[in-house]
Amino acid sequence: MSTNQEKKATGEQKKVGIYICHCGGNISDHVDVEKLAENVKDLDGVAVVHTNTFMCSDPGQELIQNDIRDGKVNRVVVASCAPSLHELTFRGAIKRAGMNPYLYEHANIREQVSWVHHGDQATEKATGLVAGAVAKALRLQPLEPIRVEARRHATVIGAGVAGLRAACDLACRGLEVALIEKSPFIGGRTASLGRLVPTGEQAEEVITQIAAKAMANDKVTIYSCTEVVGFEGFVGNFRLTLKRKPPEEPYSAAEPQKIRMDHLEKGEFLPAAGIFPGDVPDKEQEIFLETGAIVMATGFRSYVPGEGEYGYLHSDKVITLAELVELIARYPDRRGRFLQVKGKPVRRMAFIHCVGSRQIPGIHEPDQDGRLNEYCSRTCCAATLQAAVQIRSSFPETQIFDFYRDIRTYGRGQEEVYREASRQRVTFFRFEPEDPPRVQKSSGGKFPLLVSVKDTLTFGEQIDVPVDLVVLATGMEPTPIKELVEMMKLPVGADGFLQEVHPKLRPVEVANTGILLAGTCQAPMDVGEACNAAQAAAAKTTAMLARGYVELDPFVARVDPERCKGTGLCREACPIEGAIELKERQVDGKTVVQAQITPALCTGCGICVAVCPSRALDINGWTLEQYEAMVDAIVAA
Amino acid sequence: MASQKDTTGKGKILIMATENCAYPGANSVGQAHSTYPANTYIIRVRAPVLFPEQFYLDCFKKGISGIIIMSCGEECPYEGAYHALAKRIDRVYQLMKENGLDIRRLRLTSICTVCNRAFLKEVNDMNELISELGPPVLDKAA
Repeated sequence: MSTNQEKKATGEQKKVGIYICHCGGNISDHVDVEKLAENVKDLDGVAVVHTNTFMCSDPGQELIQNDIRDGKVNRVVVASCAPSLHELTFRGAIKRAGMNPYLYEHANIREQVSWVHHGDQATEKATGLVAGAVAKALRLQPLEPIRVEARRHATVIGAGVAGLRAACDLACRGLEVALIEKSPFIGGRTASLGRLVPTGEQAEEVITQIAAKAMANDKVTIYSCTEVVGFEGFVGNFRLTLKRKPPEEPYSAAEPQKIRMDHLEKGEFLPAAGIFPGDVPDKEQEIFLETGAIVMATGFRSYVPGEGEYGYLHSDKVITLAELVELIARYPDRRGRFLQVKGKPVRRMAFIHCVGSRQIPGIHEPDQDGRLNEYCSRTCCAATLQAAVQIRSSFPETQIFDFYRDIRTYGRGQEEVYREASRQRVTFFRFEPEDPPRVQKSSGGKFPLLVSVKDTLTFGEQIDVPVDLVVLATGMEPTPIKELVEMMKLPVGADGFLQEVHPKLRPVEVANTGILLAGTCQAPMDVGEACNAAQAAAAKTTAMLARGYVELDPFVARVDPERCKGTGLCREACPIEGAIELKERQVDGKTVVQAQITPALCTGCGICVAVCPSRALDINGWTLEQYEAMVDAIVAA
Repeated sequence: MASQKDTTGKGKILIMATENCAYPGANSVGQAHSTYPANTYIIRVRAPVLFPEQFYLDCFKKGISGIIIMSCGEECPYEGAYHALAKRIDRVYQLMKENGLDIRRLRLTSICTVCNRAFLKEVNDMNELISELGPPVLDKAA
């Protein structure tokens, strides 16, 4: 439709370059890449076709940039993985070569072709998709991003170790920070931990130190007892509604008793609860925040074993690792012949690994939502062994038996903990998931519980171990944040954790621009890893907001003045107040009424496009004509 | 362009998938390496409410055998867009009937970012349907 306009805009003949990626075999194992190149080389407007093992690599990007600089192409189509991974990569490469980055179209031939189809069919379908992309590319126009002011303010949701770490880093780089925490305390789950692997530092010391930094920084405002109840806006200009209310039941996780918060001092550490940030609200209040970026640091909760799972809840001698760690932390002198639990000496104890982690369909019971935790929680092996070493050193007469599926001491210094546990004569048994240990109450014997297992470290010997205590190494689950996920439209992975754009290329960002991930809301991590992620998220946030403005995609409605008859149907259909207005305009000495768009308000949904009888409206970068051409190309392919 | 019919004998299915929900949903199916019929062509859209009634009829006229609109449903990030779309699709059904087209050739669904099973079911159902119905024939010049 707007061929003349396009010619004016580019001022030259359109030359499309097609760049097809092998993705190191991910694509080329199923799509005949050379045949695909042959199929599309003679399409209208195609000037060059290249293939490369990894188009996203530097040499791949240079291939495109050289063709642009040599004047061979002025439109680019890359056929590779999903656009969510590399659309921005290639737009960036094109821009650096001096071409408008919006003269680019992406054909997804990995997730939507080579990973789901095989053989000739795959190549045929890829041909159709590339032909569609070329048809669209020929109809693209250069666009300029919309620049909007960004607030130099960041909000961190969750004041555990990751949230505190991120808040400190953000504030140190000059941003104002709102740190939002649901509970009356800061410090999160780290406040319930004992000695940290691999250094053996007390978690209390680490978390108190970071919290003190955050509290001492003028740029950090801590909102405890607060939840986010409203969310709108976009990167640089989010608007949050917070609800701060008196804690319904101030509690201690260690001992379910009420905490008298009026006796606490700012900065005081309370075991298993955290650090008191100074005040609690005495009445409910609503707070509005304007913020540039949001760091999610909502953390994890420990898996709670089902009733009867390894005897849990059927015997008070079966406890979780988290409960054991709290008991040890509050142990009076932390030394003795035997570890004492609930007033009784523990002569022998058993640890059972992988409780609530690495669950297998058909073997494990799904939770009430039908979900299984199929992932490894990563931290429990090292934490279990650390606890075992600590008990063996401090209570040398307590014997320890460790029942595991696999020992995964993956991180720096963790294998040493395993070795130390062996040296301290912890006895290991290995079991298969379909043959897990059984925990039973023993009748009459010297020990209250009996753990039986088929030990695969030997010849499958059936072993019965009488013990005083069974400790379940429970895994991590994401903190339930359904309301936030729905309100902020956050991407959630199949495992229930928040999902990054790409585990390697954009590991702390989610697809929603301006929202970042820190810590165990993303995946099981230990304290060190959570701090790593938090610092990465803080660095990304600072880089994003430091310029004081952000650039948004220009995909908003535009009006073709030559076609607009001023019917006003678009304004009637538009759900956004003020995005479309009818304005008078002088054309050839006559006054006409025409639609006018306010780009900053337009969301680019396209509702106006469909209702215009004279096809005067379009969404930049996503025009109806482009779609029609894509359909033609797909039909013809 | 209406003369450009596919020659494979197998009808083509056009899928309009929203960039916020269904398009990543289709990628999720890819990540799971679940296979489905290859006569499916996914087009990324911001919101399918952009397409006027005539667009759908034109697609059938061009030879597309089935269209699945994979929207975000109630999760649609654009205010009012989903309800406007649902109303529009009712009008498209009306026009399809007037043109002698089986309205099952056009399906409005919502697919989330991890709705792998729902995606596969929709695609397989539509594929079965168009194999049964054959190519679309319009009664009058739409």
